[in-house]
Amino acid sequence: MELISQGIVSGVLIGGLYALMSLGLSLSWGALKIINLAHFSFILLSAYLVYQMSVSYSLDPLLTALIVVPLFFVVGAAMQVFFHKVQVDEFKSLIITFGIFIILQSLIRTIWSADFRRIGSELNPYETQSIFVGRIALPVSQLIAFGAAVLIAVGMSLLLSRTYFGKAVRAVAQDRDMARAFGVDPRRVAVILSGLTTAFSALAGVFIAVGQTIFPGLAVGWFGVVFSVVILGGLGNTLGTLTAGVVVGVANGAASVTWGPLAAPLVTFLILIAALLFRPDGLLTKRSVA
Amino acid sequence: MKAPRRRRYLILITVLALIAAACGGDGTTETTAPPDTETTAPSDGETTTSEEMEEPSGEPIRIGGTLALTGVLAATGIIHEAVGEVFVERLNEQGGLLGRPVEWVLLDDESVPDQSAAAYERLITEDEVDLVIGPYGTGNITSAMAVAERYGYVFPHHTASLTYAYNYACHFSSWSTGLHPNITNPNLIYDALESTGTPPETIGFVVNEFPGTMFIAYGQDGTDEGGAVALAEDRGWDVVLDLTFPTATSDWAPIAAQIRDADPDFLYIAGLGVNASQLITAMQAIDYSPAGMFSQWPAPGPLLQTEGADGIMSVTVFEEHPPFTDDPEAVEVSALINQALADAGIPYTKVETQAAASWTAWEYLQQAAEGAGSLDQEAMCDWLLENGVDTLYQGHIDFRPDEQNYFEDLSKLKQIQDGDWWVVYPEEFAAPDRSLIFSPDE
Amino acid sequence: MTSRSRTLIGFAVVAVVLGFFPALQEALELPRFYVIFLFTVFFWIVQASSWNILTGFSGYFSFGQGAWFGIGVYTFAVLVGKHEWPLLAALPVAGLFACVAGLLLGVVVFRLRRLSGEIFALTTLAVAFVLAALARLMPAIDGGTGIFMTGTPIPEFLGEYTTAMYRMTLVIALLTVMAAYLIHDSRLGWGLFAIRDDEAVAGGLGVPVFRYKMTALATNAFFAGLMGGVWSLQLGFVTVDDVFNIRVPLFVILMSVLGGLRHWMGPVVGAVIITTLADRLNSAGLADVSQIIIGLLLVVLALAVREGVYLRMRDRWVTAGSVFFGVLVLTIIINLNSSLISDFAYAMVATTVAMLVPEGVWRRIRGGPSGDSKDSDTSPEERAEARL
Repeated sequence: MELISQGIVSGVLIGGLYALMSLGLSLSWGALKIINLAHFSFILLSAYLVYQMSVSYSLDPLLTALIVVPLFFVVGAAMQVFFHKVQVDEFKSLIITFGIFIILQSLIRTIWSADFRRIGSELNPYETQSIFVGRIALPVSQLIAFGAAVLIAVGMSLLLSRTYFGKAVRAVAQDRDMARAFGVDPRRVAVILSGLTTAFSALAGVFIAVGQTIFPGLAVGWFGVVFSVVILGGLGNTLGTLTAGVVVGVANGAASVTWGPLAAPLVTFLILIAALLFRPDGLLTKRSVA
Repeated sequence: MKAPRRRRYLILITVLALIAAACGGDGTTETTAPPDTETTAPSDGETTTSEEMEEPSGEPIRIGGTLALTGVLAATGIIHEAVGEVFVERLNEQGGLLGRPVEWVLLDDESVPDQSAAAYERLITEDEVDLVIGPYGTGNITSAMAVAERYGYVFPHHTASLTYAYNYACHFSSWSTGLHPNITNPNLIYDALESTGTPPETIGFVVNEFPGTMFIAYGQDGTDEGGAVALAEDRGWDVVLDLTFPTATSDWAPIAAQIRDADPDFLYIAGLGVNASQLITAMQAIDYSPAGMFSQWPAPGPLLQTEGADGIMSVTVFEEHPPFTDDPEAVEVSALINQALADAGIPYTKVETQAAASWTAWEYLQQAAEGAGSLDQEAMCDWLLENGVDTLYQGHIDFRPDEQNYFEDLSKLKQIQDGDWWVVYPEEFAAPDRSLIFSPDE
Repeated sequence: MTSRSRTLIGFAVVAVVLGFFPALQEALELPRFYVIFLFTVFFWIVQASSWNILTGFSGYFSFGQGAWFGIGVYTFAVLVGKHEWPLLAALPVAGLFACVAGLLLGVVVFRLRRLSGEIFALTTLAVAFVLAALARLMPAIDGGTGIFMTGTPIPEFLGEYTTAMYRMTLVIALLTVMAAYLIHDSRLGWGLFAIRDDEAVAGGLGVPVFRYKMTALATNAFFAGLMGGVWSLQLGFVTVDDVFNIRVPLFVILMSVLGGLRHWMGPVVGAVIITTLADRLNSAGLADVSQIIIGLLLVVLALAVREGVYLRMRDRWVTAGSVFFGVLVLTIIINLNSSLISDFAYAMVATTVAMLVPEGVWRRIRGGPSGDSKDSDTSPEERAEARL
């Protein structure tokens, strides 16, 4: 009983991180019609920057978020400006962003070598500390990541539904020209949104650096999980992405403790296929942006 | 569709970059080694103990090979790159091979086996290298070995874990686990545990679904031979956990939970790379620490930095402390390797199994050529089988043709104590004043 | 002579020339590596062409090339490596299994669920993941131990390993490209293009949408799986990680985009160029750089080249031909010692560069009507279609 509870709790918490990692791709695709594979490399690059700053200046890794997140907001905004200049459709965006992904990954490997990097435990107390509810452990780093994910998902959801900016985003996603006719500047909206989503990816990178040993090949391993979450969550649906992240995390965790770790990926992907067949617009179909 | 001027410039610039890159390959179609390898000229007096200061002369002897310099295996591939460069440089400083300078033609196989095979074909048939040395990674070694066999090249290699599969008469492994690591490795560990007088009663297994680790844990597919799990049962220990995890696992919490639930006295982590580090961190986060742990082929550096990893064991053939460092030449060479690893930006610079195996494989090639007095593959192969090799890090090695050219298991057991790795078993190889620390009721 | 018979004769000529290449290589004492290089090119031609039959022609973007390739590899490896089937019997089965899997997927996504293009793409990706997970889980397939393919007995009439690989891959490549050509120039092809442009309208026009999509998907999967079977021999040691990864699915996209999605020759051209470039960069010790270049190439191509290099080449064939052969002859003469592959690489790069020059600039260079309005950039493909 305790085992499965722990499995579920761990799954929920890591689901938050999965959601953070997936928000960038989901919102990009849903609202901006750009399949942005570069997000994977942004998460990785952010993790490396956190590692480097932590180690070089003996900083608390979570504090480095204050630098890294705004930095990547700018990067995301700039990238969107670039996309406006070249007017891409979804297919082209996939190719271009994959190119960017490869370039960034190679750069990371050139700068930091292919070897493993790890913020030591003196600088990074978060990875082994936990809050305990009975014998159920809630690791601190995952807890913070989960909290951040919830805040951001809820916040974005409110932003998209209640504010003028949010309405503008949805308008642009549905019909760009119409939106422009009603006084919305699609360019400005897209640039800000892109900045935001990239900032989220950077934040995910912070938690990756805190919770794991990093190496350049790590990013490719995320494709499976992130795409699963994006599909399950529905393109552009922030609350859906959060839910999907939790579902994937829990499915993984529960399957692992019940049938062994080998079964976990299979369960996840079967859920994914079922979702694609029966709820192709995502688990929570109501609030999608597109 | 607009065709703004800016776009044209962008295209022009990229086109120029393409041409520049293609031209960057110009003149190197005879494939030279990567730019930072100085291999054809002896360097200026770095060695202190070289007796022969004759400069090697004549046509360079070209040794071809690939390594995983990019891709998923790169984290360890780059160690082999650094070690090989040190070897070749030192060889040239000491007069080269058969009086001729040596050049290492190293290509990147990007951790992909079919690319490794194609690259060896290219090296042998297009670049016409004189000798070859193996790549890194079981899959890549297997593919490359088939090519070497096809053309009859002596094939020294390190790190191939599926020992039973290699039947080529002229393959020579420097991965000193012997032909049956699925039996000898676990027995080494279990003997050591029993030597403490307080062996475990319960044991748990967490196995990476990688062919090499599966082999160690469960024995060869389709046979009843050995395997860490079966051998533990033979000793009367209770196997309370037996999990296999996907190689690309990133969420260790559920596995940690299952380990805590089973609560084994001893945890056998048949894993690679940072599996053990990640797992231990996850276990620490749920406030659990097994009394004893073993990790099969970890990246040694990250484990040292992992909180809670104190006391974990692993296998090795060499560590930088006495009695291994009683040999001054080993100390000298190790210092060169430390420097090379540091220059390559690698955080953990000490010489241990990977570097030692790499160095040994190069020694095979060198002594084969010197012993046979020529670069004739058949002569070198015969010479190796008849004479064996005197290696710096692993002593004298004799190849046993009836055991697919393998030899005895030279592994020793090491343990993290006081923040560093120390060999603790067998006794004659243990660091001074160090012995295995294990007690089931921690 | 009709265009079709001309093309078929062209195929025959190519088949004969390439078929005799290994003998030529031995007679002229060229490096044996050329044979290996060529069969690697054939591999990618098959993967890219088969992928393009579905994605390029019908517009249904597939991330699933890895799935069909993987099924082919594992079917063959299990039959031959674990159950000692003869090689030639196992090959068609490999293709068939992949084909059946494709049909199953097609039935589900095309009929049971009218999925949009994006969701289709994601589904194909998910299928690849599921297959990988299955292969890992089931010891009957892989179970984590891998399958050794080295030492597989090869039928004598095929020759020794390298020659056998060459012959098998050549035959499959010819079949695949022929299939792509026949589809492109047939009612099926026209129907697929119509589906790509607007599926609803196509249906309204009487195009049997479901049947055509299934055919494209089945053809794609069959050839991908067939070639996968052969390729398991080159892998030597088949493991889930080495087979089910991002390489094949992504490279076929790159090659097809470079060459051109709308024409059956596009992926062929793209595959040849990319494979050659990657090989040469790698052999020059520039593998690291080669990855950055591929990345840049992706970005540039997506921006600069709408319809792919092939159609541009066809349009500017005089220039393309002269640049290609000119540079080729030049490099051969200048550097007699260099590998022929390198000489071809230079010629290809030069030709590709010439093709990348945008339409507007191009016309001005050729002295066409100046002051061309920037928006009248009718691509050669559009003009070709207008001719129909």
